Amino acid sequence: MQPAPARSEIAVVDLQVCDRCGLCLPLCPPEAIHLQLTDLVVDRVACTGCRKCIAPCPVGALTMVAA
Amino acid sequence: MRDTDVLVIGAGPAGCVAAWEAKRHAPQLDVVLLERDRAVGAPVRCAEGVGDAGLREFAEPDGASWVARKITRVIFLAPDDTAVKVAERDVGWILDRTRFDAFLAARAAAAGVTLLVGTEAAGMSRDPDDRWRVQLRGAGGEETWRARVVIGADGVEAMVGRWAGLDTRVPARDMESCAQYVVQGIDFDPDAIYLQFGEQIAPGGYAWLFPKGPGIANVGLGLVALKADGRNARQYLDAWIARRYAGGAKTAYTVGGVIVHTTIKATYTDGVLLAGDAAHMINPLSGGGIVNAMKAGRLAGQTAAAAICAGDTGAARLCAYHAAWMKLLGDDHLRYYRIKRALEEVDDAFFNSLARTVNAIPSEKRTLGRIFTHALIRHPQLIPVAARFFV
Repeated sequence: MQPAPARSEIAVVDLQVCDRCGLCLPLCPPEAIHLQLTDLVVDRVACTGCRKCIAPCPVGALTMVAA
Repeated sequence: MRDTDVLVIGAGPAGCVAAWEAKRHAPQLDVVLLERDRAVGAPVRCAEGVGDAGLREFAEPDGASWVARKITRVIFLAPDDTAVKVAERDVGWILDRTRFDAFLAARAAAAGVTLLVGTEAAGMSRDPDDRWRVQLRGAGGEETWRARVVIGADGVEAMVGRWAGLDTRVPARDMESCAQYVVQGIDFDPDAIYLQFGEQIAPGGYAWLFPKGPGIANVGLGLVALKADGRNARQYLDAWIARRYAGGAKTAYTVGGVIVHTTIKATYTDGVLLAGDAAHMINPLSGGGIVNAMKAGRLAGQTAAAAICAGDTGAARLCAYHAAWMKLLGDDHLRYYRIKRALEEVDDAFFNSLARTVNAIPSEKRTLGRIFTHALIRHPQLIPVAARFFV
């Protein structure tokens, strides 16, 4: 198992707000975001808390929460 | 488990043309085209504008059911709302992407391509015999297909590239966050597209109005979040519409990302080709990608078919695709990207001043080339920008 990276927060997606456009996927350095048939998923283990996906979301569906 | 020669993932313009060209190039090959959504062409995540000459390489727009509007003018709006009208004879078209993509997919199917809608690729791995094993997921459950060549035309998500070990990540400054409404009941020139720049309007990008018919238009914008003031793209767009098109009804809404970068370093590996947005083949200055995607799809389909016929689908052979793309458009995009970066240093006052300079040119002589020349003469601070274009 990979040791968890040092981080205090991770990204989560609000599926009520998310439009499933996929913009955040290529922005994620550790490639921790996946778009499945209907749901956008943030891998809680892989997310490093870098925040690169937060501001670019056109609808503000991504936010940070305590890890 | 089923076998195919070519498996194209994503039935947008890149994937539909790739599948069609592969089948046309080698009719004896099995070509399968996958679409995750239940209908090709929906949802639309696009402003739907396309240049005339590029479109005509692939389809005849006059009288076509998939055209919404012919465009003969471009109206640039400076940050202070000074309008600069540029008349060109055949500027382009506003498509009906739902119908256009369906037209391209149907044309591929008529040529013998197997089209599977509502079917998602969930992952892929390489078999010992060098074929790719792709897991598919759909309403009917899961199944596995094996393919000699996989063409990834899966758009901004670019999962095929990830699975194949190619780097498709995008720096934050090269991602345009876009939002768009269909707005009805507003007043504009239905033969023109409108583009407005401005640090307060769409920082690092521009706002647009693309007519779909009299009184109906795609009204949207793209911005770079790193330059924004904390509001997201939709909030910027709501403010722009409230200021310019307050009387309109917003009848549809979409969002998406436009990658204004340069072509990824490797668009190929053993048995895999990437085309269109998935390979960052968008014009980094304009954000336009439809024709580029079709041109890349054509190269990818032909390369894949020829490689399979020759019995060699290794990276050393498929790299011809990358070389052909770079020669066709990829090298131009490197130059456009330098201009884009240079323009990032230009402020609203410059655009306002340029608009007034250009309006001094008689309108019938106002072409993009003359605007560029005048900009250089009257605004010498642009010369370093122009110089970078040629470096």
